[in-house]
Amino acid sequence: MKQLVRGQGFGAIIGVVVMLSAFTVVDFSGWWTAQTISNVVQFTAILGFVAMGQALVIMAKEIDLSVGSVYGLTGVAFITLEPTLGVTGSLIVALGIAAFVGFLQAIAVVKGQLPSMIVTLGGLFTARGIIYVWTGGSVHNFSAAARSHPITRFLGGELFGIEAAIFWLIVAAAILNLLLWTTPFGNRLLATGGSKESAESRGVRTDRIKIAAFMLCSLLAGFAGILTLCDRPQTHVTLGELMELEAISAAVIGGCLLTGGRGSLIGAILGALIVVSFRYELIALGAPSSWFITFVGIVLIVAVIFNQKLARWLGHSV
Amino acid sequence: MTNNHPLIQVKNLELYFGAFHALKNVSVDFHAGELVGLVGDNGAGKTTLIRVLCGIYAPTSGEVYFDGRKVEKFHPKLAIDQGMETIQQSVGLCDNLSIARNFFLGREPVKRILGIPFLDFAKMRDKSTRVIREFGLRDNVSADDEVERLSGGERQSVKIGRAVEFKNRVVIMDEPTNHLSVREREHVNELAVQLKEQGLLVIYITHDIFQVHRIADRVVIMENGAKVADASTDSMTAEELEEVIRQGGRVVEKREAV
Repeated sequence: MKQLVRGQGFGAIIGVVVMLSAFTVVDFSGWWTAQTISNVVQFTAILGFVAMGQALVIMAKEIDLSVGSVYGLTGVAFITLEPTLGVTGSLIVALGIAAFVGFLQAIAVVKGQLPSMIVTLGGLFTARGIIYVWTGGSVHNFSAAARSHPITRFLGGELFGIEAAIFWLIVAAAILNLLLWTTPFGNRLLATGGSKESAESRGVRTDRIKIAAFMLCSLLAGFAGILTLCDRPQTHVTLGELMELEAISAAVIGGCLLTGGRGSLIGAILGALIVVSFRYELIALGAPSSWFITFVGIVLIVAVIFNQKLARWLGHSV
Repeated sequence: MTNNHPLIQVKNLELYFGAFHALKNVSVDFHAGELVGLVGDNGAGKTTLIRVLCGIYAPTSGEVYFDGRKVEKFHPKLAIDQGMETIQQSVGLCDNLSIARNFFLGREPVKRILGIPFLDFAKMRDKSTRVIREFGLRDNVSADDEVERLSGGERQSVKIGRAVEFKNRVVIMDEPTNHLSVREREHVNELAVQLKEQGLLVIYITHDIFQVHRIADRVVIMENGAKVADASTDSMTAEELEEVIRQGGRVVEKREAV
């Protein structure tokens, strides 16, 4: 039994089952519609990317509050630079910007010995401010040529009969899981989050590990922004606002412990599914959309209590 | 027992943290195959000295020679690469990882697939299982279990086993028996002697002069950042050494002719 529970994201699996059962009972006809499911899947995929990046950072015992702004900034860069650089060029530059933001924040955290909560809060505002200045508050669109570019269609349309975003999420989740659980890098990342001192006593360069985690997180958030815009190529200044809180919630609901070193990427995706499902179920129920945040808050608190009890039952000291 | 060529030679080491004079002109030799007790009160500078040897602190002035070569750069990774291992009570194992993962942390064996390094789980499990059996962990503990399950003594055993397995030349034990039961303490002390007999240099840091006097070849006493005594355990009794600590500052040098 414990072996099963120890598996990745067990708490989140229970959460998803409970949630789906509840939605089915409460609102069968509203929930199980093609439109709702398609929206849920699409946005779960997008939030899933951001949540996985967040999970990696949390497992390294840091936090990244800037992901929503990085998501927005990368998207804006992708759309705005396209007329000059072309789709491929702007894709590369936009992801480069994301990675660079992650790198800068990581340097401040690692070399400046500053708390990541503060550094990335600064990152959140800075990147959002750049979005406002850059776009001048106006909406930007892709040209018709850019919309039909193979890369745009590859990232934004449907692939093998499923939404492209969910396809890429599965690919990314597979790669990141291998990276986290079966490579020396993953072992060192988990060690860094579990006990930085112990990891360093074994010669692990925890500074480099954390830099890599922050950069991966920003890249994933940025890629999620690009996926969103390939699907619906229109930017607005609020793109990705509050997404950092949804991503952190998803990672925590999915079993990432803020004490570091423990967590699950699959759990983070399931957490994203829970967060997104609540939004669309509330819409389906006709509830005012403002209730959404309240519900996410309640789910988050319940999930944290549940995950902690689960961890204690397994004998972890959290 | 010891040869003439010291494995670690510390010469006129000075270390300041700002205005604080942490190490005062410390010179001491350590030989391979020797178990040296490093004794002193809290704040005496024992751990500071060790942290210089481990590359955590760089000295303000003075020299450290390792195996006859002058140490130019102080970095933990370099010290580890040269075969220096520190065993501390609270540091060295990550609770959230399995014994096997901890065992190879930072030096993971890999199998390359398409050039990508993947952990060689079979090798990690086999080697660490053999070592934990050899170093007396409970039979129901497997290499896949998280370190969190282990008792204090078992944790020390894993760290000591790891030091042996990686063919370290120097094992520094920093208060290795704190918070351990009597039987576990005996076990750890036996392992320290075992390491020495295998030709390693063992530096054993403790408050407890009586405990270390029984197993050490030599005892170095520090006080206020300076070395105040350096004597073979044959030449001075534990009581005499305790008296030195109590008086603090009276410099004693009694060593076996080498």
